[in-house]
Amino acid sequence: MSDLALIGSVAVITFATRVAFLVRPRSSPEGLIGRFLDVFPLALFVAIAANSLIAPSGSPEVTPGLAAALGGIVGGVLFRRALWAVLAVGAVAFYAARAWSG
Amino acid sequence: MPLSPSLRRGIRDSILIFLAIGAFGVAFGVLAVDAGFSVWLALLASVVIVSGAAQFTMIGLLASGTAPVLLAATGLGLRHLPMSATLARLIGPQPLRTRLRLAFILVDETFGLTVHAAATGVDDLVAYKTGADLTLYSGWVTGTAVGAWFGEAVDPAAVGLGAFFGLMFLGLAAPLVRRRRDWVVALVAVAATLAAVAWLPAAWRLTSAAAVAALIGAFLHE
Repeated sequence: MSDLALIGSVAVITFATRVAFLVRPRSSPEGLIGRFLDVFPLALFVAIAANSLIAPSGSPEVTPGLAAALGGIVGGVLFRRALWAVLAVGAVAFYAARAWSG
Repeated sequence: MPLSPSLRRGIRDSILIFLAIGAFGVAFGVLAVDAGFSVWLALLASVVIVSGAAQFTMIGLLASGTAPVLLAATGLGLRHLPMSATLARLIGPQPLRTRLRLAFILVDETFGLTVHAAATGVDDLVAYKTGADLTLYSGWVTGTAVGAWFGEAVDPAAVGLGAFFGLMFLGLAAPLVRRRRDWVVALVAVAATLAAVAWLPAAWRLTSAAAVAALIGAFLHE
């Protein structure tokens, strides 16, 4: 397969998964599926954060990312879960840990 | 024509992420050209795929052949299924053209911002997501172009952008933790991610971990 065809195929696969539940209006799922969808965003965001901060190199390790995660949690708790506070306190913790660890 | 307040807020909320997305776009442009893509193919990939995870994986597996790339793209794409179902619930009935447009840039970042906006009472989520989509899409494509053309002169990893992304998603998750069940889901997501890192291929980690945590959360009644 040429590089152009490969790019096209990946684009089609990606768009197909994105449009699956948007292509036509449906009633909101209820019951177990509805509750699954209620908490899925939270689960996904935490998974992405954990993957980026705690295991950035593909294996769990203590890095400045862990300090950033703890700092972000502290910032969120102190400032009513504001996005800016999580980013600011987490970033300060990240750079402080990176400077400290050399 | 004046921009709607929701659209303006979508643009404003995504400005910081625009910078990070742009830097990741630069990294993709550099790596794509380094892997053998022409500048135009690298740019085309960002224009039509619009997925950092899928595109970086494609570059990483390019030497392994077509099948691993397509399998990994499918695995990475699975997380979009519940995302699109959630987005459909949030925006309600909309014209087909609008739904297709919103689906095209249904990336983790704009999805996260839109869920966050819904939780904080933004009126027009379609306009809000459109603002975020336009901002981040332009950052991704522009970053890719810069990386593909001038890539050797820049190093986005040097400033720790991976940590910034992690923090951003931590921040997007924060307002969603409202009940005891949500804390359980968050803790299970962390544990499942660490387990997935140890045992699963990269393409399946996030989808599997999030699905396990959400499934456990679905079984927990408040």
